[in-house]
Amino acid sequence: MMDFRKIWIAGGGACLLFAACAPRDSAPEQAAEAELIFTAQAEAGAAAYTANCAACHGAELEGTILGPLLIGQSFVRRWGTQTPSLLLGNIQSNMPPGGAGNMTDEDYLNIVAHMLAMNGVDSVSNALTRASDFVIAENISRVVALRRPPEPPAPQGLTVAGNTEDFVPFAPLTAEMLRDPDPADWPMHRRNFFGHSYSPLDEISTENVAGLSLEWVWNMHEGDSEPAPLVYNGIVYLINPGNVIQALDGKTGELIWEHWTGPANRQDMRNIAMYEDKIIQATTDARLVALDARTGEQVWETVIADNSKGFANSSGPIVADGMVISGLAGCARYIPEDCFVSAYDADNGELLWQFETIAEAGQPGGDTWGGLDDLFRAGGETWITGSYDPELRLTYWGTAQQKPWVPVSRHMTINDVGLFTNATIAVNVDSGELDWYFQHVPAEALDLDEVFERVLIDRGEEKFVYSIGKHGILWKNDRVTGEFSGFTETVFQNTFTHIDPETGAVTYREDIQNAQLDEWTSACPSSAGGKDWHSMTYHPPSGLIVAPLSQTCLENAAREVALVQGGGGLAASRKFFEMPGTDGNLGKVGAYHADTLEEVWAHEQRASLHTGTISTAGGLVFVGDLDRRFKAFDIETGEILWQTRLGTSVQGHPVSFAIDGKQYIAVTTALGGTSPRTVPGVIATEITYPRWGNAIYVFSLPEGVH
Amino acid sequence: MPARSICQILLTILLMVPVLVWAQTETYRARLSPMPTTPQTVDSITGEGEVLLSLEGNMLTVSGTFDGMSTVATVAHLHNGPPAQPGPAVHQLVVTAATGGEISGEIELTDEQVEALRANSLYLQIHSEGNPAGELRGWIFARAE
Repeated sequence: MMDFRKIWIAGGGACLLFAACAPRDSAPEQAAEAELIFTAQAEAGAAAYTANCAACHGAELEGTILGPLLIGQSFVRRWGTQTPSLLLGNIQSNMPPGGAGNMTDEDYLNIVAHMLAMNGVDSVSNALTRASDFVIAENISRVVALRRPPEPPAPQGLTVAGNTEDFVPFAPLTAEMLRDPDPADWPMHRRNFFGHSYSPLDEISTENVAGLSLEWVWNMHEGDSEPAPLVYNGIVYLINPGNVIQALDGKTGELIWEHWTGPANRQDMRNIAMYEDKIIQATTDARLVALDARTGEQVWETVIADNSKGFANSSGPIVADGMVISGLAGCARYIPEDCFVSAYDADNGELLWQFETIAEAGQPGGDTWGGLDDLFRAGGETWITGSYDPELRLTYWGTAQQKPWVPVSRHMTINDVGLFTNATIAVNVDSGELDWYFQHVPAEALDLDEVFERVLIDRGEEKFVYSIGKHGILWKNDRVTGEFSGFTETVFQNTFTHIDPETGAVTYREDIQNAQLDEWTSACPSSAGGKDWHSMTYHPPSGLIVAPLSQTCLENAAREVALVQGGGGLAASRKFFEMPGTDGNLGKVGAYHADTLEEVWAHEQRASLHTGTISTAGGLVFVGDLDRRFKAFDIETGEILWQTRLGTSVQGHPVSFAIDGKQYIAVTTALGGTSPRTVPGVIATEITYPRWGNAIYVFSLPEGVH
Repeated sequence: MPARSICQILLTILLMVPVLVWAQTETYRARLSPMPTTPQTVDSITGEGEVLLSLEGNMLTVSGTFDGMSTVATVAHLHNGPPAQPGPAVHQLVVTAATGGEISGEIELTDEQVEALRANSLYLQIHSEGNPAGELRGWIFARAE
């Protein structure tokens, strides 16, 4: 039986052809016919969307924990200035994640029509084709907008007024204080410039942690969230989804002020920064905004990059001696502009310097892109906040890989390494110039980027930088010169057949080197990473690095990407499965000695880990997981000494702080994210948790338990 | 040789026999879990299982259970491929024609396959009506003591 919709579309097409041949005075009829065809396309697209997209993006495009929302302000902001043709190219290159299966070109076109219709596009003058090049936002009819249920306007600016000085006297957080934070504070992401995520507080210890009890809890705004709170002088500064910042009294959990910087899009921002009397945030639409730390009132604002071109931020800045240094994400599109790290004056937001992570033709490293036109050199995002060595005046960042993900998709070979992607870069904070780089995995081929935090550790007179990327390899480099100093594999990997113990040079498996379009390649770890954004801790008293790790694998197939301006993307189909030899344990807490890189202990568990690890002078390591458990380990043995179960998945970055001499441990529950959530979502399906429940929980020892 | 000494030697040999037999039996285990999946297929590629294996000489004995598959099992194979890298089927196994049941077999391995077993390069795979390319899979590893 012929599908009614196909008859409808075919009939509509015939009508359109007829209309095209008709006299000119039939233009209104033409428009009406075109609208009829568009409507039919959208109706057909609704069915195709339900079959192929709704599992991740929701039946009404509202988004789920597996995929972002595709409707409303968020969609218009992202795609409003683009054309249906570009939207179609992006979807066809990247969706669905598991491969196109039986989907036809017509299915994809109809899905675009459905998305446009759901977002209010109804004033099309032609049926949708692969070449439709109208500006999406200009075709969203106000009539349709009025027919849609009215949404209350999102709050903007200061929504709760207050002053931290009503709780504690204020003292500016100086550059000197940031170099050596007060033990009572956690004044930056990962607590110090070196990224140790270590608290010198020791009131809560291996001896008494079993008595840890809930002090207070605060529900946060809903949306995608991977938050890292800051604590300074007894005040908790909390980044919420949708670029909302709150200041809370650390002792009681009372809200002092709240500021909606916008856009109010429920999107994720991992962390914020503080300097002097300002809280400084990067926004999801690639701006930097400074708020008065006492009152939450906005002080200055500057644009990092043009959000309408896809640029975005998901992590906040680090403030190095008065310079706000920010990374950048969303650099997968084929446009003239590239990704960069940039620095701004903390007093007023003025740009100081930019360092581009993509080497263009004629520049140093520009000959490593296989002769590709500069327009098509993409990737190199810096989507995790860097570290800083004040003595060396160097800031250390990890860079993401080239885009699209597979060499054949980007019209390159495994020999086109693409500087300065998938590397550690050391940039001079005064000049913005590259001091050195070390490319851990050149010509990356499986969406396994080496972008995560750089942990700076001094061992005797030697200065090192450590990192773990998605390959799960713990890299150790001299941080003065960048010279390779060693590695260890923290989880099973089979992407490389050899890693040179002298140079760190990796040799890809032959089938990965030669992977062709639509050819499935099976490899470990998966894009959820051996390690992902959840940062590791360095515990100076023991010399141990303790990392939250993940054990899953993937099959990956490259998709074709046309070299057209505005195109690009990620372009691979992926499937996921348990890592062989792990007995189904997705989560692993691994402890490695900074000198030898030997694994001292490891704890494996079914539930994946979704917070960074932190350690304390009390001999403890804290970490949270998908199964709502927040645990404390003995740093020496890996024994679990305490655990509790929270409202939903424990996700974010724990912190420890003290007020009036009393130590607190805080952690967030949160939802949302990309591969680290998607992969456990399809492998450990038996683990359930509420689909809402973003919150911060604060624990302490009851009176008498010390 | 005094009779007592001969008895002592015989007794020693008798005591060693089970030790020698025990030493010649290698035990392995495979956890069966869903084949590679996505948010679109997660409800149609399901189940889990556990298989114990013992190797005496070149004879591999396979015995295990599985449960929770989305459709009825059709066939099961022993495959040759390193961890997480699919390879060809090398032997067929017996599997219950249901969404849960038993998987078993007695297989004479080649010397190369014994080497592959010891290198974690053999795996089990159960196919089903809904997933003819495979629904459950598990690599074989030496059993932890």
